[in-house]
Amino acid sequence: MMSLSLSALPPVFYVNFACCWPKEHITQDECPYIGEGDQELLFNRKKRFLYRCLECPRFLDDLRTRREEMDGLAELFPYVIEELLGLRVQSHSLVGQIESRNREIKFLHEVSLVLQTSVDMDEVIAMALTAVTSGKGFGLNRAFLLLVDKERQHLRGYFAVGPRRPEEAETIWREIEERDYTLRELAQLFFEHKMPSEREKFKDLLSQLSTPLTRSDHLFVRALNEQESLHVTDLTREPGIDRAQIDALGVRELVLVPLISKNRRIGVLLADNVINRRPIATEDLHSLKTFALPVSFAIERAALYERLQEELHKLTEANRRLKEQQDLIVRMEKMALVGKITSNIAHSIRNPLTIIGGFARTLIKSIPPDDAKRRYIESIVREVRRLEDILQEVLNYSESLHPTLDLWDVNNLITGVYAGLRDDFEMSGVQCRLQLQPALPNVRLDYKKMAYCLRSILTNSLEVMNAGDAIEIHTVRKDGEIHIVLSDNGPGIPEETLQEITSPFFSSKERGSGLGLSLAARILEGHGAALDIESVVGKGTTFTIRLKAPQEG
Amino acid sequence: MARLLVVDDERDIRHLYAAELEDEGYQVETAGNGAEAAALLQEREFDLVVLDIQMKGESGLQVLQKIVRERTDLPVILCTAFSCYKEDFSSWLADAYVVKSSDLGELKSEVRRLLEKKKR
Repeated sequence: MMSLSLSALPPVFYVNFACCWPKEHITQDECPYIGEGDQELLFNRKKRFLYRCLECPRFLDDLRTRREEMDGLAELFPYVIEELLGLRVQSHSLVGQIESRNREIKFLHEVSLVLQTSVDMDEVIAMALTAVTSGKGFGLNRAFLLLVDKERQHLRGYFAVGPRRPEEAETIWREIEERDYTLRELAQLFFEHKMPSEREKFKDLLSQLSTPLTRSDHLFVRALNEQESLHVTDLTREPGIDRAQIDALGVRELVLVPLISKNRRIGVLLADNVINRRPIATEDLHSLKTFALPVSFAIERAALYERLQEELHKLTEANRRLKEQQDLIVRMEKMALVGKITSNIAHSIRNPLTIIGGFARTLIKSIPPDDAKRRYIESIVREVRRLEDILQEVLNYSESLHPTLDLWDVNNLITGVYAGLRDDFEMSGVQCRLQLQPALPNVRLDYKKMAYCLRSILTNSLEVMNAGDAIEIHTVRKDGEIHIVLSDNGPGIPEETLQEITSPFFSSKERGSGLGLSLAARILEGHGAALDIESVVGKGTTFTIRLKAPQEG
Repeated sequence: MARLLVVDDERDIRHLYAAELEDEGYQVETAGNGAEAAALLQEREFDLVVLDIQMKGESGLQVLQKIVRERTDLPVILCTAFSCYKEDFSSWLADAYVVKSSDLGELKSEVRRLLEKKKR
């Protein structure tokens, strides 16, 4: 509208004005506001008027001198000009905003595409941090990711991206500029080639930034807990951060964006401009906030996926082991069957052989040495002997298929026995504590017998103990031996009884055969193991089984 | 003269053992099963029992439990075709364990050993 009404003015009337606005063409000297590159304005009166004259004090002076003309219409011009300039500024800033939003949307789209297709934790993180620092989305130099470690109640420095020194920054930025990588390519490059070195590069800094979650006053923890993005312009004036952390970061200005997924705290994203020291723009913080959401989701999803993979792996492993065990059981069953059959055959052959051979030997005694029949009987004796030898060989073999002595983990044995007695413990109200020294070497023993032995000692104790008493079983490696110590705070055993306790059929109890402890003693003897019994009446009894530990190496 | 009781459900084994052990100068009685053995033990004094494990009816191990319970001083030799009974805890109550063989040497020497041990 403005331009239409102006161009309608006949220029020839205004020759006596100070400014150049009435002229169709001007030279460079006539307007101080037209610089290099604006030469078009010298020949385009309409454009010159709109973009230079309206802001030119000389034109405004001219306008003032013409105030009275055109029935006061000229007086209104400054309002129009003011409004126009205002609108122009506004539209300029709007365009700027739209452009930046547009960039942001494009960028977020690109990022989220990658994030959505990745379930690898490190890939997701590489993408996210590259996005922050590549100069494509945000103009930030460096970004840190701190992740919540629930188990240790820690906000742990997990990863960082960015140059550590200005020279490095130059190289990186030049490369990005020259190759014109897409964000995806950049992230991929980073993930494949730089991840380990980058992790190493920032290792010290990351560990310095790690903060316990219990420190609710800490800047990082606060951002996380309050789910609030923070823009700190001067860290030295911020009480919620350690001096050492500020020194390690080497910057004063920092933005913090919490990563939250469905109210679960994932971590905190930190970013700064450590290299070029440019103030962080509010738009950057705003974009980061928008960006935090898909990143949070992606990280959480990746973490879940990782856990799923782990579980799957465990399950597969368990399955494989189960299969192995099954195969083993089938094999053992087959062997046991073979053993059983051989053993049965042996039994049914052994009796007749004993009778044949035995009587032959009896007969031979009553036959004089020169009797011809003696040779026949000697043959019978000899052949029977041979058959018996073969039989023994077969039996030895079938017994060797399932040896009774084998290498066993003593702790395993104890937990196995304990599991079998748990009901008895519960019923009698006696507590049982296990304190097993881990990683004991395996011991050669007969599992069944040794289990019987432990069971005997425990049930013997249990029968005389009262509810509320306790038994402790602990294992320890000592002086080349492995000790199984079973101590109780039961009634104890009188000294005179202590001597007899391991002889057969000793029993001070009404029930039971009284065989238990004597058999236990014999079993241990058979294992070359020692059994010490110490007892104080009224205080309790301690049984110590000392097993020979296998030699190292 | 020492008196032995041989318990086995196989008649020929009983005959063989009786003949051989009598040859060694012992007085031998035989029983074909646990019940017979129990009756004989009730009736007469014995110095030693040779006991088969796998028998019809009461097994040798059950007989053994009874003997050891009532007569702790009476030695018992388990004599069986199965060596696997050595693994059975209740067989450990016996004073000796002999696997059957046409050569009765081992059995005889165990009898001798236990009788001498008893005398001392």
